[in-house]
Amino acid sequence: MNNTDTRTAAGHYAAPDGGVFSLALMTGFLSLITLGIYRFWAKTRLRKYFWANTRLGQDGFEYTGTGLEKFLGFLVAVVVLAVYLAIVQLVLFQFGLYFVFQPKTEAEILMQLGVFYLSLFALAPLLLFAQYRSRRYKLARTRFRGIRFGMQKQASGYVLRGIGLLIATILSLGLLWPLMTYKLEAFMTNRSWYGDTKFTQGGKWTGLYATYKHVVFGLIVLIVGGTASAFAQSEALVVLSLAIGYLWMFFGYLSYSVQGFAYLTRTKQLGPDISFQASPKTGSVLGRLILGYLFIGVVGIAVFAIGALVFGGMIAAAVQSSGATDQTSITLVAIGVSVGYLIFLTFIGAMAMAFITEPIIRHIVGATALVNVGALDVIRQRVTDKGADAEGFADALDWGGAI
Amino acid sequence: MASVSDIIAEAAYFDGETARSHRVTVRGEGEYLSLTPIEPPGAPFFWRLDLIRAQAGAGRETKGPLILTLKAKTDDEQPRDPARLILQPGRMADWVRLSAPGLTARDVRPGTWGRVIWRTSAALAAIAAIVFVILPQLADTLADRLPIEREVAFGQLVVANMEQYLGGLDGSLTCRNPAGLAALEKLKQRMTEGQDLQYDLSLQVFDHPMVNAFAAPGGQMVILRGLIDEAGSADEVAGVLAHEIGHVEARDPTRLAFRAVGSAGILSLLLGDATGGSLIAVMGDQVLSASYTREAEQNADTFAFRLLNDTGIGTAGLADFFEGLDGKGINLPEYLATHPDTAGRATAARAADGAAHAPVLTEADWAALRRICE
Repeated sequence: MNNTDTRTAAGHYAAPDGGVFSLALMTGFLSLITLGIYRFWAKTRLRKYFWANTRLGQDGFEYTGTGLEKFLGFLVAVVVLAVYLAIVQLVLFQFGLYFVFQPKTEAEILMQLGVFYLSLFALAPLLLFAQYRSRRYKLARTRFRGIRFGMQKQASGYVLRGIGLLIATILSLGLLWPLMTYKLEAFMTNRSWYGDTKFTQGGKWTGLYATYKHVVFGLIVLIVGGTASAFAQSEALVVLSLAIGYLWMFFGYLSYSVQGFAYLTRTKQLGPDISFQASPKTGSVLGRLILGYLFIGVVGIAVFAIGALVFGGMIAAAVQSSGATDQTSITLVAIGVSVGYLIFLTFIGAMAMAFITEPIIRHIVGATALVNVGALDVIRQRVTDKGADAEGFADALDWGGAI
Repeated sequence: MASVSDIIAEAAYFDGETARSHRVTVRGEGEYLSLTPIEPPGAPFFWRLDLIRAQAGAGRETKGPLILTLKAKTDDEQPRDPARLILQPGRMADWVRLSAPGLTARDVRPGTWGRVIWRTSAALAAIAAIVFVILPQLADTLADRLPIEREVAFGQLVVANMEQYLGGLDGSLTCRNPAGLAALEKLKQRMTEGQDLQYDLSLQVFDHPMVNAFAAPGGQMVILRGLIDEAGSADEVAGVLAHEIGHVEARDPTRLAFRAVGSAGILSLLLGDATGGSLIAVMGDQVLSASYTREAEQNADTFAFRLLNDTGIGTAGLADFFEGLDGKGINLPEYLATHPDTAGRATAARAADGAAHAPVLTEADWAALRRICE
């Protein structure tokens, strides 16, 4: 045994810049022309790509999930969710008819907001459930050095905790958000395994305030500054404090996402001997976000303009040549416009994957490392987790996006 | 062993039992790939070339290392051995690409297709039950309980959406010729006077060539210019309107909207389509084609016959309209076309008739109405 090897295995994202673009575009179009059925295979292929290119030291991760099992899991979720969603949708629509149209008094506006948040809250249990199941499925289908990851079945406990923490967060006006972040992550981490070795979440929830404080500062500037300058009756001051407050909150939130993740990674352990380093830079993530959006914006506008001209011309020509001005042609135009819009969205989605998601993954992976590689050698295989529904619920609820 | 390839490579090997990395020497030998442990040295073991599979996403398609495994009976998501052989790019990896025939094969466990069919059927059955049984009942219940002022507010929204769907901005399609509007108002007065309607009808004409008219929730009714252009007389327009008023009074458009909303939720669930692009098209089409049930159509016809008789307009106009459309072969509005028996409805309309006491509009007013979009 080689347990004395305390070397660090550095993280490294191996794919070339923008390498995922062609895969994302192709799978996106396949999903489009199969009316969405291919999306399960698309997601699988993208994950295989991202996983395989994520390396720790010499070794890459492996994603072994299949599109077919996702499709089958989705079918199960459809049976369960279709009833629920159809009814929720109708009831929300009913609420909407009562409150959302033309609120006239302040009480009505408040009521409208209340209904909106209440309806979001009604979905919370399902989303929490899907979140846990999705993490469990992903771990069960991830291998490193041939050894499986895994997570215990305990989605219901996660949902209960999540709802309690969500209520605490709302009642504290967001001040207790780090408590929710920490507790939920710890709940999942402490039930996660690599082979026969368990992960543990160290650190403390208060440790997250080092980075969360900026969100709080932003909120304080927003409230205090806004109120004070409103009393001073200075419009310029109101605008200024609103701008500063919002920007501070935005950057605070970004920093919280990045540094909170880093803190939770640094304080994780695998077994007694293996720990992690994580030092991503908020500025680097922000830079990649800005560059990515700028690039996509410029290219997107150009493509949209050209596409609208070409596509619009084609539709117009088709309608004119058929000589129809009746309902059929209206329907055709509507379908044509929708299709063009969906093609454009697919293109933008692939761009976002290649020029925002991938660069950020590259940075985060590159800033992560595993300490004490030698201790991996004694970790033994775990049994396979069949994960009956794959992540059907997460898919059905559109949780977690493309990867 | 038969032919021994002269290509040899060192590779990393994971035995699938521990996370320890082993170094092995890899070499092609006939139908097999031989793997010989280096540290500590051990006896070679053999992988059958035809059972070797490569993981997708890694070196199979791109320049990265080739991750190899074996097809085997396991409980995993795919029938694969847990052991892994990692070949760095090079001659050996190229040789394996050429020599392993099943490298990219997808192996599916027996019984998988049965499961696909069974689960697909179950999902389709559940959706059918919701769309055709639960939703209609729920929609009817909710529509019946909706207060009228809310229904009207909703209807205005539907009309605005329809205008956009037909290619106009807010209010830009509405025809506003003063004389035409006056004629339209006379038409409305004539059709509603003495009638005990639960809705205040709001009637407008959109400048659009389609031969159609539709009723939105809460008594909002829209005639498209094409219908007035094609109609032979004001009585024909009145006949169609009477039919639409029948739908409004029975709250059919509201039921339909509730049903569409519920179905839309399910459709977006199935398509995984968060963008809603396809939904816009579907919803717009739904309002226009308004595929009410046969029963709802019959009730609306009955209502129309009664209203036309009570107001002394007479049902001959409606009958003419049905016949005219039938004979001329114009593209029928869907709400008429979905019912194959147009001629039968014309006959029914004639049979229901007491004679017309007076035309619904004077010739002058009818001429004004025809110019309402100018």
